[in-house]
Amino acid sequence: MKSAQAGFDAYALAREAGLEIAASEFPADVAAAAQAAAHARKAMPDLDNVVAEPWPPMRIRNVS
Amino acid sequence: MSDVHWLTAAELSAAYAARRISPVELVRALLDRISAHDSKINAFINLDATAALDAAREAEKEILAGRARGPLHGVPVGIKDIIDIAGLPTTCHSKLMLDNVAREDAPVIARLRAAGAILLGKLALHEFATGGPSFDLPFPPARNPWNLDHHPGGSSSGSGAALAAGFVPLALGTDTGGSIRNPAGSCGLVGLKPTYGMVSRRGVFPLSFTLDHVGPMARSVRDIALTLDAISGHDARDPGSAAVSYRLSGAELERGAHGLRVGYVRHFHETDMIADSQVAAALDEVARTLKQEGATVRDITLPPLHEIAGVQRVIMQAESWAIHAAWLRKRPGDYAESTRRKLMSGAFLSAGDYVHAQRHRPQMIDAIDAVLREVDVLLTANTMDPACRIDDAESLARTYPRQARSPFNLTGHPALAMMCGRSKAGLPLSVQFVGRAHDEVTLLRAAAAYERATQWHTQRPPAF
Repeated sequence: MKSAQAGFDAYALAREAGLEIAASEFPADVAAAAQAAAHARKAMPDLDNVVAEPWPPMRIRNVS
Repeated sequence: MSDVHWLTAAELSAAYAARRISPVELVRALLDRISAHDSKINAFINLDATAALDAAREAEKEILAGRARGPLHGVPVGIKDIIDIAGLPTTCHSKLMLDNVAREDAPVIARLRAAGAILLGKLALHEFATGGPSFDLPFPPARNPWNLDHHPGGSSSGSGAALAAGFVPLALGTDTGGSIRNPAGSCGLVGLKPTYGMVSRRGVFPLSFTLDHVGPMARSVRDIALTLDAISGHDARDPGSAAVSYRLSGAELERGAHGLRVGYVRHFHETDMIADSQVAAALDEVARTLKQEGATVRDITLPPLHEIAGVQRVIMQAESWAIHAAWLRKRPGDYAESTRRKLMSGAFLSAGDYVHAQRHRPQMIDAIDAVLREVDVLLTANTMDPACRIDDAESLARTYPRQARSPFNLTGHPALAMMCGRSKAGLPLSVQFVGRAHDEVTLLRAAAAYERATQWHTQRPPAF
């Protein structure tokens, strides 16, 4: 299925992710999940700072 | 004493000290009440009556011998069934976890036991603290005691329902995108998501590592403070635990609102997401009440709600997929439909999406920290609509994301929801207050001042 809103083949991606059983038994749920991910991704704003660090950072180990 | 089931923890502690009631009498009264009404409400998954009565006898003996441990001694608590209690199954309200018997207490449970609290049993939730009220699971969904046809909120649905029905004076919930504050709001209670790291998450089945919080739910702000005193503290074995200690003196709760600076985040519910008119009017009334009590209230602007919520959702979807991927690949049919839909979302995100979201995070934390240097607490909407019918899948799907809670899971600021009115249909309406990181003291002070001025916390569901 080509998800119009998600803009990609949700079932192919689901199979790629190992969700063959879900894709064949619960196709509507796979489509809904793909759409939810697309909505969340779309709601994120662009990052102004290209070198912004992620949070939380890598856990540091101090030398005593 | 009559109506002992409505006593708060603070009132119970005083009643025990004055020998007006004993822990055994209270636990028996609560068990009778649960037996009479829980078949309609479905708050409990596992009622541990024998252990609760044993603990009540022990508490009674200690209190009578003058060895009272503190304000939670002999006070019953209900536990969301995602938190480990040694010897009991932690089912997460799921078919996948029915045989998952906990080997040891989660630290948060050990702390409650040390404070002398009585564990009454395990409470219903939305499967794995996500999904929604589901009818295709081994246990029925909890219902709202204010109207049994309506949703109690979730995912700590049993915690909300049990408190509102007078089954327990205290409960624990967990909150990844609002799961303490949603049922607190829908059931006319108080619910606190503490600062990230304030309460240990070890022994709690994770939904999203960097967003999960454990917190108290109760029928009064004072009880929230007493419970937080008992359960907070550093846990060296929880990598997300903060090395800060919390202690609230009773005097802080009595200070009132005079001089408090409140930032009203009006744009969340007026422009970013249009709230039900009853909710909007109730929030304006909260602002007016606080002003009347001596606070200054001014409008504050944060990043748009949908942007903060979008970043939170990407993180939650990616992290929960990482936890559930193996089961979703092999046993997707063992999940409820709504859970399956939510948990599979992360399969459709890229590693870049997740890192992108985590890179937004410090900017959003900074934005909220910046306004909290100008004001002491924020006033925002909790949920945008009164609770809908529990059997109306369309309304549930439409209203569930209409909330302003998840931003503070993303940023880790403490956030509290409490009742602030009733809809025309008689259902509770709620407000959210947000504080500075690790400043629960000021947050609870604001909530206590509002509670004292309005007395909404004394209202009870008419049928109970």
